[in-house]
Amino acid sequence: MNRKCNILVVDDEPNVLLTYRLILQQQGYDVAPALSSEEARRAISEQQIDILLCDLSLEKQESGFDVIEFARKKEPSMPVVLLTGYATPEATDRAQQLAIPVLFKPIDIKELLDTISGLLKENYEQHEAAG
Amino acid sequence: MASPEMRVRSHVPEQTGKGRRSALRLLGIERAEEIFPVLLEEVVALGHPRALIAGVNFDSSEIAPVASLNSSRSFLQRFHTSLFAIETPLARALQSLQPAHVRSRNRRGPDFYYYPLIYRNRTACWEAERARAGNCLAVENFHARLKLQLQQQICQVCDMRAYAAVAVVELKRGATEADSGELRALLELANRYLARLFKVEHYQNRMVDMETTITQMQTVMESMTDPVILTDPQHRVITQNKAAERYFRLPDEVSEGRVRAVELNNLLFSAALSSMAVSGSDSSRDMTLVDAIEGDEVLFEAVSAPSFAPDGRRTGMVTVLRDVTDLRRADEELRANYEKLRQAEEVVRQDRDRLNLVIENVGDPIVVCDRDAKIALLDPLASDLLGPQHGRSALHMRNQAKLDAYITKFTYSFSDRESAPLQLTHPGTLQEVEYDARSGKIYDERGLVAYTVTVLRDLTAVRRLEQLKLERRMLEMEKFAAAGRLAGTIAHEVNNPMEAIKNCIFLLTDQIKPDAAPVYDILKSETERVARIVRQMLGLYRNTDQVGNFDINAVVEDTLILFSRQLERAGVRVERELGDLPPALGSADQIRQVLSNLVVNAKDSMNGGGVLRVRTRVVRRDELRQHILVSVADSGCGIAEGVVTTMFEPFVTTKGERGTGLGLWIVKGIVENHGGKLRVRSKVGKGTVFSIALPAV
Repeated sequence: MNRKCNILVVDDEPNVLLTYRLILQQQGYDVAPALSSEEARRAISEQQIDILLCDLSLEKQESGFDVIEFARKKEPSMPVVLLTGYATPEATDRAQQLAIPVLFKPIDIKELLDTISGLLKENYEQHEAAG
Repeated sequence: MASPEMRVRSHVPEQTGKGRRSALRLLGIERAEEIFPVLLEEVVALGHPRALIAGVNFDSSEIAPVASLNSSRSFLQRFHTSLFAIETPLARALQSLQPAHVRSRNRRGPDFYYYPLIYRNRTACWEAERARAGNCLAVENFHARLKLQLQQQICQVCDMRAYAAVAVVELKRGATEADSGELRALLELANRYLARLFKVEHYQNRMVDMETTITQMQTVMESMTDPVILTDPQHRVITQNKAAERYFRLPDEVSEGRVRAVELNNLLFSAALSSMAVSGSDSSRDMTLVDAIEGDEVLFEAVSAPSFAPDGRRTGMVTVLRDVTDLRRADEELRANYEKLRQAEEVVRQDRDRLNLVIENVGDPIVVCDRDAKIALLDPLASDLLGPQHGRSALHMRNQAKLDAYITKFTYSFSDRESAPLQLTHPGTLQEVEYDARSGKIYDERGLVAYTVTVLRDLTAVRRLEQLKLERRMLEMEKFAAAGRLAGTIAHEVNNPMEAIKNCIFLLTDQIKPDAAPVYDILKSETERVARIVRQMLGLYRNTDQVGNFDINAVVEDTLILFSRQLERAGVRVERELGDLPPALGSADQIRQVLSNLVVNAKDSMNGGGVLRVRTRVVRRDELRQHILVSVADSGCGIAEGVVTTMFEPFVTTKGERGTGLGLWIVKGIVENHGGKLRVRSKVGKGTVFSIALPAV
């Protein structure tokens, strides 16, 4: 792929969303911000998303998993990172089942960036292998 | 011994030639019984045809011939009479103590001369003289103060039974005054000698008797094993027996020690005598003497009594020494034993009092029964249950019946101990109370059952207490959970702003002017710190806690799975040993937190790999309580001793800036809220073990 990588960041906190966008853009990524699960779904439908960064608890009791499910429907192998302040065992289990890494807030930026690049690399290699 | 004084007679009567010869002849006689024959011979030698001596039998008061010369039996017959027949010249002569010349009734018959021979002397004998007694018989008779009385012929002084006789002489024909005088002189002389001889013989007899007595006494003395000593009034030893010589006489082989010992013995003895003499008759003293032969000390009790002469004069003392060493020793031992016994009794009494006090204050009914399951002792509480001696109600008796059945079964069973539930009715509240009866047996020295002791524990009270404790714990946990939820909520609220702040800081990294760098650094680090705290708190109070029964093994498994990848990456091998566990009561999530914390700590301590051993098992403290033990052991770097004491305090960490210092504090809080205990054992360089004990349901 020749274009830049497009990261969808979903978080219902505006400042958090903004600062993540800035950070990721600084790193050279394209960022599609979404303040709600609705916006996220729109973005998934309309854009080509390479990786999804999703907060677990979204507005109005919406769950990040719903977004993830939606994304995986469109693109089953989409790399996802779950961000959360806390997680029930069920959530972590579910994340594990889906093979989704979970990062706990406050998030270590470096860890975040490493996780992202790791996932992208994996994905790229997989695509390469698939031909 | 005193020797008799020889008295020289100054008064010598005139003697004719014949008389001198007779006198000499009489003098030569050594024995009293020879005098009469010789006398009679001399009388006849004077020319008188016949003569006889009639003696007095004091027992029968008869006078009868005892010696005669030239006298026929028929002649002698005439001179048998009674002492009291005073019409006869014989008796009269004796009674009057005067000689009598009795002419014959017809002119042609012979005349008779009667001469009384009785013990008499002008002067008193030496004994009377020494005793200064004035009633010597001899003298009294001499002075003829008394009529001849039978009993008075015993000398008051010397106790001698004197003789009394009459010499009867048939005078020759044509006897003149001179003849009479001559005859009289002869008879008088004979009487004097007789008196003397009699006295001497009396003395001799007395001496022999005395010697016999002395020998007998000496035999007695010698036969006594106790030392016996006779002393004179000046406390000088008169005589002592062999037993006494052992202590008071120097032995043949004389050694200095022995000599001193004997001297000392004598000194002690004298001192004792003096003191006894002072304190009066029948006194006794203790003295320790040294055996001159064996050399050991012997304890004696000296008992002495004064000795007196017949006249009441004190002649000294008799002392008997009784060996009381053994006696005293036995007495002392007895006393000591008695004292020991008394003390032992005192100890026993105190123990018994203490025991009674303990039993009374135990707070549970206690029943002690004997080997036949009959009640021997009840404490006050048991008495309440079973009722008083008199006036028992049906309730009491029912209780008693149940108790009896149980105790009897136990007494005759083979087990040492027994416990069983017992339902009794409390007389006060009329409630059924479930007791847990616990019994034990007390054996005697033969190994047979002597007593059984049964303690009744009121289970309802215990159970209620347990229930209360449980309820309180659950309440605490609820509070803890609620607090946690609150904190969680707060933390979560804080989290979001923190997220934004942290991101901004990251974004500003390259835009800070050099001289603003230190300030920026502070901003960064403090923010990170806040972030960590919030993270920890969020990590702790993650979810809505649910309190109930849960399986600890499941929680352990969950935790291990959760961290399995991290542990693998860290090179830690996991060993698990999960025993059969009953359910625990509490919050599974919180316990999960605890285990997660411990596992992470363990992992962090094992830089470069190691072994993590997790073990669960159940421990039975007693039958009301069980505990679940969970231990998390690592082979890591261990915890220094100084840290161990403070590591459960909040904000203490060994992880430098990475640590918040809250982990173990929270862990301890959770464990304690579950009613459990947390312990740690660690050795630097070897590893650490965290042990959690939680109550089971």
